[in-house]
Amino acid sequence: MKVIEIRDVHKIYDETEVAVRAVDGVTLNFDEAEFAAIVGPSGSGKTTLLNLIGGLDIPTLGEITIAGTNLRTLKSSELIDFRLHNIGFVFQSYNLIPVLSAKENVEFIMTLQKWPRKERDDRTFELLKAVGLEDRINSRPAKMSGGQQQRVAVARALASRPKFVLADEPTANLDSKSASKLLEIMEKLNHEEKITFIFSTHDARVVKMAHRVITLEDGKVVSDEVRE
Amino acid sequence: MIRSISWKNIWRNKSRSLVVIVAVTLGIICGVLLIGIMKGWVEQRLHDAIYNEVSHVQVHNKEYLKNNELNLTVKNADELTGIIGSFPEVKGWVKRTKMIAMVNTSWGNTGVNIYGVDPEKEKQVTEIWKRVIPGAGEYLDESKPGNILISDKTAETLKLKQYIITEKVLSSLRSEKVPDLILSKLDTLKDVRFRSLKDFREALKGELKMKELDNYGKMIIDKALDYRIRNKVQITVSDETGNPVQGTFRVCGIYKTTNTSFDQASAFVNAEEFAELYDGKGVLTHEIAILLNDIESADLVKDKLADMSPENEVSTWKELAPDAALMNDYMVMYYVVFIGIIMLALAFGIINTMLMTILERTRELGMLMAIGMNRRKVFSMIMLETVFLTLVGAVAGMLLGWSIIELLGKTGIHFSTWGEGFEEWGFAAVVYPVITADFFLLITVMVIVTAIIASIWPARKALKLNPIEILRTE
Ligand SMILES: Nc1ncnc2c1ncn2[C@@H]1O[C@H](COP(=O)(O)OP(=O)(O)OP(=O)(O)O)[C@@H](O)[C@H]1O
Ligand SMILES: [Mg+2]
Repeated sequence: MKVIEIRDVHKIYDETEVAVRAVDGVTLNFDEAEFAAIVGPSGSGKTTLLNLIGGLDIPTLGEITIAGTNLRTLKSSELIDFRLHNIGFVFQSYNLIPVLSAKENVEFIMTLQKWPRKERDDRTFELLKAVGLEDRINSRPAKMSGGQQQRVAVARALASRPKFVLADEPTANLDSKSASKLLEIMEKLNHEEKITFIFSTHDARVVKMAHRVITLEDGKVVSDEVRE
Repeated sequence: MIRSISWKNIWRNKSRSLVVIVAVTLGIICGVLLIGIMKGWVEQRLHDAIYNEVSHVQVHNKEYLKNNELNLTVKNADELTGIIGSFPEVKGWVKRTKMIAMVNTSWGNTGVNIYGVDPEKEKQVTEIWKRVIPGAGEYLDESKPGNILISDKTAETLKLKQYIITEKVLSSLRSEKVPDLILSKLDTLKDVRFRSLKDFREALKGELKMKELDNYGKMIIDKALDYRIRNKVQITVSDETGNPVQGTFRVCGIYKTTNTSFDQASAFVNAEEFAELYDGKGVLTHEIAILLNDIESADLVKDKLADMSPENEVSTWKELAPDAALMNDYMVMYYVVFIGIIMLALAFGIINTMLMTILERTRELGMLMAIGMNRRKVFSMIMLETVFLTLVGAVAGMLLGWSIIELLGKTGIHFSTWGEGFEEWGFAAVVYPVITADFFLLITVMVIVTAIIASIWPARKALKLNPIEILRTE
């Protein structure tokens, strides 16, 4: 079964005089354990598409099915719950809860999902080790660098073993060294955990590391290439 | 988890949290103090009205209340007192003569009600004997004839109150550590007699600076005050036929209650001596005052007596001191109004701070909703923050409020600068706040409930946030 099926999805903003077709007839599928980048010029619809896939926004036309569930069939409260159990998110910034330590931030979703304490602790430690922050377990976000914060965010997104992880420009605020390091970690985890990653980016070096590159222009997919 | 985040969030913006905590603390303290003071006042007024002035129940001739004439005495007074004495509700009773009289000295005159009393029996019913000012003579004594007990206010009108700085006053001030500079300034006023407080104050103002007056004025006035005890006063009343008759009494003591109006209208003499003045045939009873064991049985006793003796007028304290009764009845309404105002202020403060908190954290809240924290959890997270803040404030407020009331309940609050104004209305210038545990809890609960209700609106506002719009504006 496909993890994500996107069928002729449109997102049209028509609050203004001229309607903006932010996403304009996109059809895409994602399998398990993909490591895919969405690229394209500014305004091409990357964020809009990721929001639609992530169930944060609803398409004007078309269907999005995730692990067999059509997102259109869910009420808004069910959608929140669906996100909690199926999708991991990494944002450009403001990913973490400032008053919680790295460990508590990683645990957060598992706690909302009511995991037993022991499993939670084990999983948290495993992930913090995987992102190279086992010595920062008790640090609060303000005490960590931007790259370290994004690594915690990646660990948090993966913690409850979601169907896939969405990351909208996760490296936008990082220097190139931290960006490569984050991508390396993401790739490693994608490989080890067999969880699909979909991320958008402007950074050519980041694009190079992707196994599949989808290019958007004016809301349309103009190329979709798989590399090895 | 939610609980721990809320708790930690409180300490993020310490000064703002402190504002809420302090608001709650002050809310409780103000509420407790206000109610404490009002309750203290009302209870004091009630106590003084009953124990100094009107007792619980009084009996008069029906006509007497309209027309204070000498011969309008209580009907069958002796028979009635016999019955009254047998009531289990009754703690004590007295018979009194009560007549309007003119009192004069060579320096002043005034009209008062003169009560002819049995001094010892009177002690069982009223506390006037306890109100004799220390150092200003003594209460009536049957074995010492020709005495009259007047109030401080009457003494003032009759110019029996004087202010004089003697050598004794100066040395006593010196022992109170009043600076020599001030004492030397007072030297010019030495042994000058002032017959009114106003004149004395004027004279002091001429000698001392404002600041010095503020610091030492009250003490100097207190020490310089001298009552002219044993002075003779002349009393004029009308006899049976309406002719004026006169007699001379000596001031044996000066009393002062918290109610100036009562004071300036009341003087006490020995009933038998008084009787000799107005006709010599025997003591007339115009008033029977009854003190009960329990204020609640006043109406019951009134009804019983009214049935037994329809020819007399029986009144309870509510009718005799309507101001005190009104205070007592409306007290609860005042509480509601005052507490309402406090709660409103508190609610505004909390709504404001919590809205600011949410505005500051929109990105974080948007992120939390995006990753799957549901509305109920976001809502309770924000509510819990207020609850925690409120609880911290409530604990502080309860501890402080209780200690302040405990302390002030012992020392009293002195409204000395406005004291004279208060006493005109029958309210003491010193208030001893009281608060009962149930009111204390009520206020605390109300503050907490108000705080929680006030935070509902900001929390709902947070729920309306749209995560994608927030996340887009990076
Ligand atoms: N809420 C909205 N209302 C109106 N137009 C919108 C809205 N959100 C996005 N758009 C428009 O949709 C188009 C696609 O925007 P989107 O943010 O998806 O692009 P993007 O590829 O993520 O750009 P960038 O690389 O700058 O992040 C843009 O033209 C944008 O102006
Ligand atoms: Mg974008």
